Parts: sequence; C-alpha cells; structure tokens
Amino acid sequence: MRSTMPVRLGPAEDSLIAQLKSAGADAVAERITVAGLPTRRVESYHYTDLKALLRAVPPLAGAANAANPPSLAVPGAYVLTIVNGRVQAAGAVPAGLIVGKTEGGVLSTRDDTLVGINNGLASEALSLSVENGVDTVIQIDRRIEGEAAHAVDALKIFVADGASVTILETFSGSDAAHMGNHATYMALGKNSAVTHVTLDLSPSKSSHFATNEYRLADGARLRTLVIHAGAALARTQLFPILAGAGAHADIGGLNLASDGQHLDITMESHHAVPHTSSQPLFKSITRGRSKAVVQGKLVVDRDAQKTDAKFMHQGLMLSDEAEILSKPELEIYADDVVCGHGSTCGKLDEDWMFYLLSRGIPQAEAETMLVRGFIAEVLDPIEDEALNEALNTVVDGWLLSGK
Amino acid sequence: MTTPILEIRNLHARIEDREILKGVNLTIPAGQVHAVMGRNGSGKSTLSYVLAGKEDYEITEGEILLNGESILDMEPAERATAGIFLAFQYPIEIPGVATMTFLKAAMNAQRKARGEGELSTPDFMRAMKEAGSLLNIDSDMLKRPLNVGFSGGEKKRAEIMQMALLKPTLCVLDETDSGLDIDALQVVAKGVNGLRADNRSMLVITHYQRLLNHIVPDVVHVFSDGRIVESGDKDLALQLEARGYADFDGQAA
Repeated sequence: MRSTMPVRLGPAEDSLIAQLKSAGADAVAERITVAGLPTRRVESYHYTDLKALLRAVPPLAGAANAANPPSLAVPGAYVLTIVNGRVQAAGAVPAGLIVGKTEGGVLSTRDDTLVGINNGLASEALSLSVENGVDTVIQIDRRIEGEAAHAVDALKIFVADGASVTILETFSGSDAAHMGNHATYMALGKNSAVTHVTLDLSPSKSSHFATNEYRLADGARLRTLVIHAGAALARTQLFPILAGAGAHADIGGLNLASDGQHLDITMESHHAVPHTSSQPLFKSITRGRSKAVVQGKLVVDRDAQKTDAKFMHQGLMLSDEAEILSKPELEIYADDVVCGHGSTCGKLDEDWMFYLLSRGIPQAEAETMLVRGFIAEVLDPIEDEALNEALNTVVDGWLLSGK
Repeated sequence: MTTPILEIRNLHARIEDREILKGVNLTIPAGQVHAVMGRNGSGKSTLSYVLAGKEDYEITEGEILLNGESILDMEPAERATAGIFLAFQYPIEIPGVATMTFLKAAMNAQRKARGEGELSTPDFMRAMKEAGSLLNIDSDMLKRPLNVGFSGGEKKRAEIMQMALLKPTLCVLDETDSGLDIDALQVVAKGVNGLRADNRSMLVITHYQRLLNHIVPDVVHVFSDGRIVESGDKDLALQLEARGYADFDGQAA
C-alpha cells in the first residue's frame, strides 16, 4: 500500500517551487509540490536528507560582474568565468578551442531533484568545443557574488575525436549563505583523453550542489577528480556513461570535511556496451564534528560483457565525533564481467605514527605527512604540474587550517 | 667515572595486564656495543619498544637514564631527538610518503631540536648520497614510498642508512639480522660497524649468534623471562649457541 499522505512543505520547498514556476519549469515545481525535497527515504539521498538539511533557499541570483581573480590561481591556465549563472565574456581563446553560449538545461532528464532544478532554472550554458589537443589548462571559474543567492549555471563540453584537454572547474563566491546548483555535461569523442577536476571552495555558510554527466565514445579515456574543500553542505553527483567499446574512466574524489561540514560524493557509473572499464577511487577525511558521504554504484547493462570495474572508498577519521558514510552498490545484468567494490575506514595507523615519531618527527608534522600520503593516491595522477601543485596547495591549506 | 650512555635500573613494564619486563638492569658505557640474546617471547623486543617510548607499554617500576637523564616522561619524538634510535625488526611500510621526504623531515626535526636551521637541498642530497653509497642504496630506492615494496634486505639497509643520517647516541638494533641472507648481513654489519664511535653506544638484540660474528659486542647479556640472567664477553654468545637457552632459564643475574 502506497501512502497518499500529502507532504508537508517547508520554506525551502516553497521558495524553490516559486522560483521554478517563475522560470516556467512547471513539471519540476509540481514534482517538488507533490513529493517535497528528497528525504532519507529516497535511497540516493539516504545520507544527505535535503529536506532536513536545507532550511531555506535564497532568492534567485541577479546579474553581477566578476572583478575578482579566480579562486585558485593555476599558472598558465586559460580562465572562463560564470558569475551568478551568467556566462562572462571570454578573452583571447587558445588554439583548438571554441567558446560559445547556448541554452541551459544540459543534463539528461533523470529522476533526481537537483538535476531537475538545474535543468529548470539554468537560463544559459557556457559551451566549449575542444577541436584537437589543447595544451593549456582550461579553468571555468564559477562564482556566486553579492548577497546570499541561489545561482544555477551550466556548462556543456564537446571533446572531438582524438582530442585531449585538461579542464578545471572552481566554485567560490562572496561570504554569504549561497546555494549553488551547477551542471556539467561532457561528451568525449572517440579516443579522446580528458582530465576533469572540480574543486569546491565555496564560502563556509553556503550549499554547493554539482552534477557532472559524462558520455564516453569508443576508446575515450576520462580522469575526473572532485575535491570538496568548502561549503557547509556539498554534494557532487557523477554520472559517467561508458557508451563506446574500450572507453575507460578513472573517477576520483576527495572529501575534506572540517567541523560542521556535510560533504557528499554520489556516483552512478553506467557501463552500457561491452569492453569498458572504470576505476572509481574516493577518499574522505573528516575532523571535528563533520560528516563525509560517498555513494558509488556500478551499473552494468545486460549487453556490457567484459566490463572491468572496481569501486573503492577509503575513509580517514581524525576525530571521535567525525562520521564517514560509505555505500558501494553493484547492479549487474551481464554475466561475464569483473566488478568489485571495497570500502575501508579508520583512524591514522598507530604503527605508522610510531615509526615517524621514533625518528624525531613531531606529532603534528607526522600526522600531516600521513594524511598527505593518504591523499597522494588521488592527487598524484593529475599530470599537469601547475595544476597538481595548485591542488596540493589547497590540501596543504586545509591541513594547516586544522592545526 | 663518566656517565654511561644508557642506564636501566630495575625496569618493570607491562602491556595490559601482562608483565613482560621484570626487573631489567643494564648499563652501557659510551663507545660500547652490548648484545642482548634470548629466545622468542623473552621480552627482548619489548625492551627495544620501551626504550623508544611506544605507548602500548606501561612502566610500573624502575628508571631509564640516557646520559644520566630520565627519559620516562619523554614522548617518542623527544627521545629520538635526545639521541635514541630504534632500528625496527619489521620496518613499517608507509604508502604515499616518499622515502626522501621522510628522511628530510626526520633530519630537520633533529636539527631543529638542536637549534640548527633546516638542511639546504644540496647538503641533504650530499648526505643522502654518502650514506646511501655505504649501504648500496641508490636514489631510485629513495624515490619510492617509505619501505613499500622493499625486500627484507633493502628494509634493513634503509634502517641503517637512517641511523647513519640521524647520528644517534644510542642505537637499538632489534633483530636486525632477521630475514637477511649472508651477503645482506655483511652489508648491514659493515654499515653498523662504520657507525661505532667513542661517543655512541649500541644495544644489539638478536637470538642468533651469527650476527655477533659480524658485529662483535663488548658485552653479551642473556635475557630470559623479562630480565637479564647472565652477562659475559663475546664468548658467552658461543656458549649459548652450543648449549641452548634452557641452561640459563631461572637463573638470577
């Protein structure tokens, strides 16, 4: 028996419904009116109960100009900026890249509230077309400026057959209780190679939601890395679809949770054709009273024989009040595949610690070395040196801020 | 009389409810190498961990003096900078931490404790090359994560290399011969012998006499049931090898 009790809506839902209606997104508005924001009863939001966590939604962001430098400086990077949902004018574009603007609503429709809100409210999207190899790192600096605002933006990237590119997205803004809902859709052409890093540096009172959808053609190679290092509440959703034989995805993620933060990486990787592989590797570090969530689901279609996929999540808890929640899932319809999942969680290894101390390295420094060592596995594969160094600076900053 | 480098007086230690050290007395004057021999489970390794300050052990009685000063209240890192070095029986593998990074941090920690500035990169590289060549350790090995994927021999050589770099006053070698073939044993022994000095003492823990052919001790102690039951010169090790430990069980020192 399905309950037909109407859902009691809170102020956050009322604001969202009004915003969606004003943008003409009636279907999504209707959906929230009927079901409310997802609660822990919705499996994919089990550990991130939006109804409980989102008390209010700020007004839709008005236009603003970015006078600020990007939130993370990567020497040599080509920077494009989106402020409060609006795509800013681009400077001289590097060879091999075409920059444009298109309509919003870049994500495939799916039964997910955050996706629905983005598709309903993103008025425009930055579009990138990578025609061949682009040597410089392309940085998309997405910001929310001014008073507390709900900003919705979108990015659409086409990578041509055989092209290669490294793309960094940074999220930041003025110090206010913003809510960001960001979408990235990326289509990888045959035998293309893409590194895609998304780094959340949102201010401490804000909520950050991002959804990245990837579609990989034959032989495409994708490496992603999500780093959550900001916001009170952050959730990044990753939806890679391996749609061509020989496609391979290394999906990476890092939750750096300090006191008061709730950080969630949710992945659903879809192997749709035979002979594809993926290696999702996520790490979470929590300290103070904080919470990190990683959900990882591998879906293997009935025809997707010879799929080779291994999900791993490793958690490190640096305080007694910290929490790490891990949910690996397999949904396999093919019968000739190698799929696995693993999850570990613990404190810093005492024997490792003693070994470093016994050489005279002070406690705090030894801890930092071990945490850095724990993170190295997800950072080291980022090949661009300037980007790698910049990301390490972010991690070091996080480590130092906890001392 | 000069102060001995290490003086252990009536040391009792336990882990949880089990008493493991039951009144250890041991004095090592400067410049001497002492061997402690005993069968498995006699408490030899516990002695080495207690000296290094591993917190799993509780000292219930007695005293440990390094250069005449008690170290019982010192944290492991402080003990290390005060001059104690433990060469581990099973050196720990730490993925993600490059050997080089670790060595530099350890050397700088020691320098900082002595009030010296950080090592410059050329000085560090020079020290690395010098200590490495002594122990057949090349720079490729130093670029790998700490002890990860090292063979048994490589791990022990790396321990001795650390010892050479950190220049401790008291070297505690816990079963340094375990897992070594004869060639590796000779390299390690040569490294250790090269570090013998008038202002440095060594405590060599082993249960085979073999190692002591290569690192010749000044004094040999027999360890049984948590204490030293007999002491003598290097020939005691040979007697022990011939007669076995049973003869020494239950003896008072």
